[in-house]
Amino acid sequence: MTEPTDFELLELATAYALHAMSDVERADIDRRVAAAPSAVAAAFADEVRDVREAMAIVSAATAAEPPAHLRAATLAAVQPDSGRQLRWRTAAFASAAAAVVVGAAAFGVGVLMWPHPTQTVAEQILAAPDVRTVSRPLANGTATVMFSRDRNAGVLVMNNVPPPAPGTVYQMWLIGSSGPTSAGTMGTAAVAPSTKATLNNLGSSTALAFTVEPGNGSPQPTSAILAELPLR
Amino acid sequence: MTGPPRLSGDLAALLRRVAHGDRQAFGAFYDQTNSRVYGLVIRVLRDSGYSEEATQEVYLEVWRTASQYDSAKGSVLAWLLTIAHRRAVDRVRSEQAGSLRESRYGAANVDPASASASDPVADSAIVGDERRRVIACLDALTDAQRQCIELAYYGGLTYVEVSQRLATNLSTIKSRMRDALRGLRNCLDVG
Repeated sequence: MTEPTDFELLELATAYALHAMSDVERADIDRRVAAAPSAVAAAFADEVRDVREAMAIVSAATAAEPPAHLRAATLAAVQPDSGRQLRWRTAAFASAAAAVVVGAAAFGVGVLMWPHPTQTVAEQILAAPDVRTVSRPLANGTATVMFSRDRNAGVLVMNNVPPPAPGTVYQMWLIGSSGPTSAGTMGTAAVAPSTKATLNNLGSSTALAFTVEPGNGSPQPTSAILAELPLR
Repeated sequence: MTGPPRLSGDLAALLRRVAHGDRQAFGAFYDQTNSRVYGLVIRVLRDSGYSEEATQEVYLEVWRTASQYDSAKGSVLAWLLTIAHRRAVDRVRSEQAGSLRESRYGAANVDPASASASDPVADSAIVGDERRRVIACLDALTDAQRQCIELAYYGGLTYVEVSQRLATNLSTIKSRMRDALRGLRNCLDVG
C-alpha cells in the first residue's frame, strides 16, 4: 500500500536522479527509500534508472571532444610506477605534463618531504572520493594542489616554478577564518623543476597562498600574495 | 534502447576488464566515452580548465570503482554520465565565489535550439542522428519544462533553488521536472 509519504518520496525520484537536491536532502531520501516498503523502493529505483538512461541519451546533444592531451594525462593516471606503488601520481599531476620527479625539499611545520614514509597519506588523498584539483600560475610555473576534505590533507606539486631570489624563501600559507597560518617554506635549494609536498591538516582553511619572505620565513606574510589556490 | 547501441555491449565488456586492472581496456573505454563525459562536464562548468580537471577525476573514479558497476541498475553509459554529472554539479556548487555560477545562471535560460546555433560547445559536437533526435525531443518539451531541466541539470540548481529562482511553488516544480523527464523518456523510448 502506498502511504502519502511514499507518494512524496516517489515525487522526488526525478530530482534525485538529476542530482537536483542538497546533500542533506539526498541522504534523507536514501534513508527513507531504505526504510520504505519494497514496492515503493523498487518504483523509486525504476524511476531513477529511467531518468538516468534518458539523460545518458541526451548527452549526445552536448558531446564535445576534450583536448587531445587529456587522454595521455588520464591514462598516465593508471600506469604502474616503477619502484613505487603510487598509481595515481602521474595523473594527479596532470597539468604538470609528464613532470620528472626531482622533488627534494626542506619544509617547515605541516609540510613533509616527498617522497617520504607518509606516502600513504598522498595515496589516500588521491584515491579519496572527494579528491579535488586546483591549479594556478605561480611565477613562471604552475602550482597544483590535489586535496581531500575527507582526508583533511592535500598534495602540492609545483612545476617550472623558478627558485626564490637568494636570501628569500617561498612560504605557503593556509588561509582560514582567523587569517593565514604558515604551511612551510621552500628555499632556493628546495625548488626543483618539479617539486612536490604533502599538506597535512587543512582544517577549515579556504585557500593555500604563496608569498616571498626574507630569511627563513615569517610568522605572518610580509609581502603580497603571489598565488592563491582556493581549497573549495 | 540505452546509449549508442553500437557501443553499449562493448562498454560493459570493457568495464569488466577495467575492473580487473586492464589499462588497455581503460584506454579504449576512455576513447569511446570521453566526448560524452567532457561535453556534459563543460556544459555544466563552462570552463575548459575546470572541465579537464573534472573529466580526469571522473575517469579516475571509473578506474577505482569499475567493479562496483551493477548492470541491474542501468547501462554503463548512464552509470558513467551519472558520475560525470555529479562531479560537475558538485564542483559548481562548491564555487562560492559566484562569478562562475552567475554566468551559468544567465546561460541556463537559453533554449536548446538557439544554444546549438550559438554555443561553441554544441557547434563542435558530433552531429549525428542521435543528437538530432535528442534536440528534437528537447524541443518538444514545453518552455517551462525545458527551463526546469536547464536550470537543474545543466545549471546545477537544486529543485528548491529552481523553485525560488522561478518564484514558483515547490510542488509545481517537482511535477514539472517529472513531466519533463516523462516527456523526454517517451520521446526517446526509454523505460
